[in-house]
Amino acid sequence: MSTITTSDFTKSTFIEFKGEPYQIVEFQHVNPGKGSAFVRTKLKSLKTGKVQEFTFKSGESVTEVPVVTREMQYLYKEGDNYVFMDNTSYEQFNISSAMLGNYVNYLKPNDVYQILVNGEDAVGLRFPKKVRLKVTEATEGSKGNTVSGATKTVIVETGAVVTVPLFIKEGETIAIDPETGTYLERA
Amino acid sequence: MKTWKRLHDNPVLWERYFIREKVIRAVRSFFEKEKFHEIETPLLIAHPPAESYLDVFKTTLLDRKRRKTAAYLSTSPEVPLKKLMVAGLGDCYALTKSFRNMETQSNLHNPEFTILEWYRIGADYFDIMKDCEKLLRVIAGADTLTYQGHPIRLKAPWERITVADSFKKYAGVDFDVFLDKKQARVIATKKGYKIEPQTTWEELYNQIFLNEIEPHLGQGRPTIVYEFPAAVAALAKKKASDPRFAERFEFYIAGLELGDAYSELTDPVEQEARFKNELREIKRLGKTSYDYDHDFIDALKAGLPTCSGIAVGVDRLVMLLTDTTDIADTLFFPASEEFPLLE
Repeated sequence: MSTITTSDFTKSTFIEFKGEPYQIVEFQHVNPGKGSAFVRTKLKSLKTGKVQEFTFKSGESVTEVPVVTREMQYLYKEGDNYVFMDNTSYEQFNISSAMLGNYVNYLKPNDVYQILVNGEDAVGLRFPKKVRLKVTEATEGSKGNTVSGATKTVIVETGAVVTVPLFIKEGETIAIDPETGTYLERA
Repeated sequence: MKTWKRLHDNPVLWERYFIREKVIRAVRSFFEKEKFHEIETPLLIAHPPAESYLDVFKTTLLDRKRRKTAAYLSTSPEVPLKKLMVAGLGDCYALTKSFRNMETQSNLHNPEFTILEWYRIGADYFDIMKDCEKLLRVIAGADTLTYQGHPIRLKAPWERITVADSFKKYAGVDFDVFLDKKQARVIATKKGYKIEPQTTWEELYNQIFLNEIEPHLGQGRPTIVYEFPAAVAALAKKKASDPRFAERFEFYIAGLELGDAYSELTDPVEQEARFKNELREIKRLGKTSYDYDHDFIDALKAGLPTCSGIAVGVDRLVMLLTDTTDIADTLFFPASEEFPLLE
C-alpha cells in the first residue's frame, strides 16, 4: 500500500477510507468562498457498492489500495452477478450489478473488458469513455414538431434504451457515454 | 464534442443557452428600477486585491519600446467600485467577467466567469439579504423553481441561520468550543477527519462545513448563512458586539453557493494590515505574487461611506435556472472545450 495525495486522484483511484476499500468514482475541486481548496469525491465501497460523498482537504494524504487490471471476457449474467473469465488462466470472477452501475446496460457477451482486481476480488470494470453499439430498433422521427420531436428513443444491441437525435436510423452504430447513458455521436 | 456542433445537431439545446441572456436582462432591469449605476470596471489591472485563496492570471503589458510592466486579469470588480463610492458615486453595480486561475476540474468553476457585484451606501448586510430575496424572484420570474427535481420556494423571508447555529444543528458541534484552535483539532479528529501537521483551523472549519453542513442548505427554500468567524472573512467588518465574528453572509439554493456578502471594511489601517498579511500568505503558498493596491488604501483614507455589498456567481444562477449541474453546460465556449488538456 502506498500513500498518495488528492492531486493523484483519478476516476479509477482506489483508496482506503475509514478502514475500508473504496473507488473514487467522481471528484471535483471546490473552493469555498474565500477559503482554501478542497476535493469533493463520490466514493464507492468495494464491499457493498454503495456510494457516499466525502470532501478531502486539497493535498491531504490517503492510502491507495492496490488494484491490477486484467483482460477478461464477459460470459453471462447469473442472478445479480456478472461473470467474467480470464482467457489465459481460465479463472472466473463475479462482479455484482451494484459494482458495475450504469455499465451493465452496455455489456456485450463474449467481448473482452478490462477488469480491476484487488487481491482475490474483481472490484470493477474499466469502461472506455465511449462505447459503440448498433441500433437494433428505431422508429422514424416525426418531422415538424421541433420541440418534443427533436429527439427520439432507440434500442441498441445490448437492449439499452438511448435518447438520440432524429436522424439516427436502425442498423447504424452510435457512440454512447456508458457512464451517463447519453448519446455522443454517430460512430 | 464542441458545443456549437451539439447545437448544430440538436437545435432544441438553444433554449437552455438562451436562459443566460434572460438572466442578464432581469439583473439589469432590477438595478435600473432600484436606481443603481452600472459601472464598467477594468479587466486588465495593475494590482489585484490581495486574497491568498485566489490564484491570479498574470500577463505582461508592453509599451511601444517593448518595456515590460506586470499586468493581471481582474479577480473581482470590488476595488474599482469602492474607489468610485469614495468619489461619491452612490449605489452601484458591475456585471462583468472575472478571472481566477487554478480553478479547473470543477462543475462549479470556469477560469473566466461572470460576476455580479452590487453595493448599497448606508446599508448593512441585512439589507443586502433583502436585495437577494427580491432579485432572485425577478430573475426566476416566479415564486418557485425546480432544481434537479426539487422544488424551491423563493418567497421572502428565506431561511436565515448563523454559522454557529448551523454547526450545532447539522454537525453537533458547539462553535464556541470549536473556535479554539486546539479544541477544533480534537473535535475534527473525533469525527474521523485527518489532521496533518500543516492542517489549519480554516481547513478544518471548511471541511466540516462542506461535508456536514452545506448539503443541507437551500433545500426547499434558499438559506442565508451569516455571521462568519472573523478568520474566514478577511474583507468584512467585524461584528461590534462580538469581534470573533464578522458581518459576512453567503446564500445557498439547493446546495449551490450563489453569493458572498459583507458589511464592507472601511478602515484603511486594518485593510492595509490585512492586505500585508494576505501577501505574506500568498508568498508562503508559492502563488503568483504581486503588490497590493496602495491607491485603494489612499481611497479608504479619503473615506469610504458605510456600505454593504455582495458578489454573485451569474453562471451559477444560470445553472439553477437551466436545471444543469455543470457550469460548462451554461457556456457556449466553456474553458474545458477551449483548453481540452484541462479535462
